[in-house]
This record gives sequence, C-alpha cells and structure tokens, in this order.
Amino acid sequence: MKRMLLTGVLVTLSMSSVGSAVKVGALLPLSGAGSVSGQAARNGYLLALDEINKAGGVLGRPLELEFADDGSAPAKAVPEFVKLVTVEKVDFMVGGVSSATSIAISGPAKQYNTFMAWIGAAAVPVEDAFADHKYFFHYHPWSYYNFEAILDYFKHLRGTKKARNIAIAYEDGPFGSAGINDTVAAFKKAGFNVVMTEKFKTGSGNFGPLVSKAKAAKPDILYWVGYDTDALPLATEIKQQNLQVGLIYGTPPSWPVGFEKNRLAENVGGLSLWLPSTPNTESRAFVAAYKKKFGNITEEYFAPLAYVNLKTLAAAINKAGSTDKDKVAAELAKTNVRTPFGPLTFTKSLKTQYQGFKAGSWLSFQYTDSDDRVPVFPLKAAKKTTSWSK
Amino acid sequence: MSKATTLPAAPVTRSARTPDFTFGKLLPLLIFFAVALIFPFLPFGDRREFLLQIGFFTLVAGTMALSWDILARSGQVSLAHAAFYGLGAYSYALLMKAGLPWLAAMPLAALIAGLFSLLLGMVTMRLSGMYFAIATLAFTEVVRTVIQNLPESVAGGATGILVPALLGGNSRQQYFFALLVLLLTVGVSLAVRLTRLHHAFAAIRQGEETARVLGVSVVRYKLLAFFISSVLAALAGVLYAGKTFFLNPLETFSLANSIAPLTTSIFGGLYTTLGPVLGATVLRIAEELLHNIVKNGYLVVYGLVLILSILWLPRGVIGLLRRGRHGGDL
Repeated sequence: MKRMLLTGVLVTLSMSSVGSAVKVGALLPLSGAGSVSGQAARNGYLLALDEINKAGGVLGRPLELEFADDGSAPAKAVPEFVKLVTVEKVDFMVGGVSSATSIAISGPAKQYNTFMAWIGAAAVPVEDAFADHKYFFHYHPWSYYNFEAILDYFKHLRGTKKARNIAIAYEDGPFGSAGINDTVAAFKKAGFNVVMTEKFKTGSGNFGPLVSKAKAAKPDILYWVGYDTDALPLATEIKQQNLQVGLIYGTPPSWPVGFEKNRLAENVGGLSLWLPSTPNTESRAFVAAYKKKFGNITEEYFAPLAYVNLKTLAAAINKAGSTDKDKVAAELAKTNVRTPFGPLTFTKSLKTQYQGFKAGSWLSFQYTDSDDRVPVFPLKAAKKTTSWSK
Repeated sequence: MSKATTLPAAPVTRSARTPDFTFGKLLPLLIFFAVALIFPFLPFGDRREFLLQIGFFTLVAGTMALSWDILARSGQVSLAHAAFYGLGAYSYALLMKAGLPWLAAMPLAALIAGLFSLLLGMVTMRLSGMYFAIATLAFTEVVRTVIQNLPESVAGGATGILVPALLGGNSRQQYFFALLVLLLTVGVSLAVRLTRLHHAFAAIRQGEETARVLGVSVVRYKLLAFFISSVLAALAGVLYAGKTFFLNPLETFSLANSIAPLTTSIFGGLYTTLGPVLGATVLRIAEELLHNIVKNGYLVVYGLVLILSILWLPRGVIGLLRRGRHGGDL
C-alpha cells in the first residue's frame, strides 16, 4: 500500500513538472518615453515565442513569457521587476531598454541573483552597475561602440572623399549632450578638424543661426545628434541656406515617419543596428515571419533584437538541459549563431563578462531617391557607395 | 506699502491655536501609520517583497505631495518641486561621493535644497498666481541645465551619476526609513496646521494685502513655507536616489515630478495633512489595480479617473470622507 502511495506521489510530481512552463519575465517600456522601442521589442518576443513553442518549447515544456511595463520610469521598474522575480517566479529575465530603469533594478537583480539577458541600456553607467553580476548578458552595443562605428565610417570618408572638417550639432538634453566633449576629443585625436560645435533645443525647429554658422565653418560632414522632430526642420534650413556639405549624418533614436518620402531626405545618412533591407538570410527570414504575424514590418531594430534575445536564451536552456542558471549561463556564453544583425557571440566588454554585439554590428545608411535606406558602411554590408554632395 | 510685522508675540493658548482641534481628527492619521507600520508583516506570501517596493514609492509620493501642500497653504502654487527633489537627490549623491556618511549627507542635502529655496523665494517674492508658477518652472529648468553642464567627472553630466544603495539595499529597512521620513513630514504639517503658522499661511493665501493689514510678515512666512516644503521634498529626493541607484538630469528634474505632487494633493484634499497622504495611497492602489485589470491603455483609464475625481470631488478624497462638513480638517 505504502509503495503504491509513493508511486502515485512520484507520478503526480513528475507529471506536474512535465506540464509546468519555463517562465521568462520581460521588463519593457510599454508606456512612456521609450514605448516605441518597447512595443517593437514586445512584437519581437511574441514572434520568437510562437516559433519556440511550435518547435516544442524548451526542455519539452512550453515557454511562457510574462510581460511587465516599466513605464520608462525607475520608480515603476523596481516594483515590476521584483514582482516578476518574487511573485511570478520567472526563471529568467529579458528586456530592458532604458538605461535609468536598468540601473534602478540592478540592486534587486543582484539581491535575487537574477539571470538577465538584456537587450538595451547602452549607457556606460549600466556597465558599471552590472560589472560584478555573473548572470548579466548584454546584447546591445555599449554607447562607446556606437561612436566607434561612426568614427570608422568617417575615417573611411576621409580616405575616399577627403573629408577633414566636421561640424557637430547636438541637442542640449542628455541624449545629445552625453559625452559630447569626449566625442569632440575623439574626432580631433583621429585627425579631423572640428570646425563647429553647436547646441540646439530639440523640437524648436529653429536651425537658422546654426546653419548660418555651419556655412561659415565650411564643413565636409555635418554630424547632428538629436531627435526625429529635428530631422526635417534641419534638412529644410540646409536646403534654404544652400549649405554645401558632403554628408549630413544624424543619429536620432528613430527617424520621422515618412521622412524617406521627402526629397530633402535624399542622401541624408544615419546609423542603425539593422534595416529591413539588411541583405542576409536571417534578416530576410525575420522580415518574412514578422510580416506574416503582424501584417507589416517595423524599422525599429528592437524587434529583431528581442527576437534574437529570446531565441538564443531558449537554445541555451535546451542545451543546458535544465533551468540551472550556471548551466544556462555556460551555454549562452558559447552562443555562436547567425542573426539578422550578423554573427552573435559573447565576449568581454570593458567591464562586463558577456557582451554580444559591438561596433562592427552597426550599419551606416543613406536615404536614396527610391525612398529607401541603403547601407553604405561597413563595406562588407554596403549596397552602394556613399553619395557625396560636395 | 506698510511695513510688515509679525503676529502678536503674546502666549497662544491651546484653544487660540487650534479652535477646532480634537483628538478624533488625528485618528485617521494614526490608523494610517498603524497600518503602514504593520504592513511589511502582513501575510502577503509571495507578494510581500513586491508590495514592499510599491509601499516604499507610495511613501515617497506621499512625502512629496504633503511637502507641496505645505507650500500651497501659503498661496504659492509651485512648479519647482522637481528642482528641490532633484537638488536633494543630487546633493546627496555628491556628498556621498565626497565620502560623507549617509546619515550626515541626507540632512545636509535637504539643507542645501532649503537654501536654494530661499534664493528662489526671494527672487519670486513679488510674483503670484500664474507668474509665480512659471518662474518656479523656469527655476527647475535652470537647475537642470546647470547640473547637466557641470563637468561629467563632478555630477555625471547628461549621462547621469550612480548613487550607493540606501541602507545596503535592504527593502524592509528602506520601507521603514521612508515611513519615518513621511512621519516627520506629517509632524511638520501638523505643526504648521496647529500653530499660528496656519493662520499666517491662510491669511497670505487669501490676500497678501489683507495679511499685511492683519500684521502678518508676508515675506518671512512665504520664505518659511518655501524652506520647509523644499527641505521635505529634498528628503523625498534622497529616498528616490538611494532606492534607484542612479540619477540623470532629464528624469530627476522632470516636470512630472512637479505635477504629480500637485495632482496628488488636489485628489487627496488640499490644505490638509491627511489628504495628500491618502491621495498618494489611493492613487497608487488604483494604478496597480487598473494595471492588472486593463492591461493595455490603463494609463488612459487612470487619467480619466483622475480628471473625473478632480471635477466631481472639489475637496478631494478627504471631502468624500467628511461629506457635508466644511473646514477644520487636519
């Protein structure tokens, strides 16, 4: 009788463990300032989740995603993170777009020793905050890698177009101003002449004085760091004042909707981690799958980044054969896969152990007259040479 | 212009100070603190840690709202609360960076914010209403810009600055410490309400000229209101900094940090001690419930609830509790 009871208990326990899902928490800015990226990431996760579960889930169990909205605010991110870890009891955490919210949760993350496969948060203080966390995998390049990619492109233009003089226009908020002195110093160290460094108020639409100053400085490249709302007013002012410049190059977090259809956009350059037109098999497969599920395609690179994030985590769990954090970390560290962004492996960054994409993953593109963003650098990914307007 | 004088220095009897004060009016506050005190020990099971985090930020929001209300009692509708909150947070971060122990850094940070409030108060003394609000809003922008443009090695520039965890990151201790700060704020608010300051602030709010005729030193009391309010807001800023480990100018000095205490106070019940505290608590609970019920677009519903409440409850939640009876709220 005792043996029967014991057998019954064991069978029940084993059946419940087979049925229970592996839970992954996704902390994203689904509202607030970062919601465009957050919603794009959510779609990427949903697409990956479909594919993973259709292929049998992880460890023979379904994968379950629990989304939480950090509201793009640290004060909301902390309770939501703690809720996912302690109430929902997720096995792993993914997501993370904003740097401020990511730092705010670094305390509880270390307290609960949470496994974090993080897609965003590029600011260097995040790297400091997680430097000693053994389960922190960072997919997005750190901000210094972003600048390294821009500098490489400009050096290429110096060789091919004899670009020497750079004029910098930057918005006076954190996005534009962060590290601006280091940027100027790095350009100078690389042998460029920084002929203008001018602040502007984002959204003001008043670029008259700035462009006049740039005209007097005669730059080869006008490098602007601002938001989507600044793109069109700046391009308009440049056209009106007939500023002769080889390349207008901007790095807004997103470009204005329909900007590509405006004639002023032609030859304007920018930086992206991915474009729907990225010419690799994985990107084409992602675009096709995304269109099938959502009916359209996004240009937000957080969608494929989230997709890659969950797919690689699921693969690592399967290879580990359990949800044991050390085993999964060891397998995720060995990741070597082709993605829409190019190959993904984890290597050390300046301060963290597991850094995914680096400077080489960024693409410089130009808008063309065919209403498209076309990669122009690095040369291995380029579909055309840079159009130089000088 | 007549020379402003202070209120009569004659001893103020209990009845003269608090004609409508009864112990029963303190009861809701006592109940609130009793519940807040046992809150971390309630059997919430797995939700305990999560609710502790929610509780912490609710206490910070309550401190902010009540500190704003103290200033509003003197007729000054300020939009500079984000500045004092941020000044407290940044001063704390920099003092900690300089090696001060946190117990010394915290009051010093609050004092620094208080001194800045005196500067602002002196500059805006002649302004009122919308002009005053705009001036305080501009002050916040100025402080943000200055901090953002300090060398990155000093205050982290536009990128931001890391802050050591408050009380070693122990969430229960952090909660009780935030409760202590709210208790201090409530104590200050009651002191304002139950002394001659209440009459002075109320007189100024109803008309500075009238207050002067009554012998109230308008300048002195307005500055005092500013100082008290900013010191308490700065303490809330310190709590925030120690909890989130990171400050950047855009988020710390965000307009939302000035607007939230204003709406919370109006929602809870203006010019009272219980109102803003209750407002912060009810709003946080409502937000959390809506978040769970209306997964997408809960903020829209939350905003609608807030607008309707302000429209239909002119005396706030406190008015709902004490329907039909005007005045005399603590």
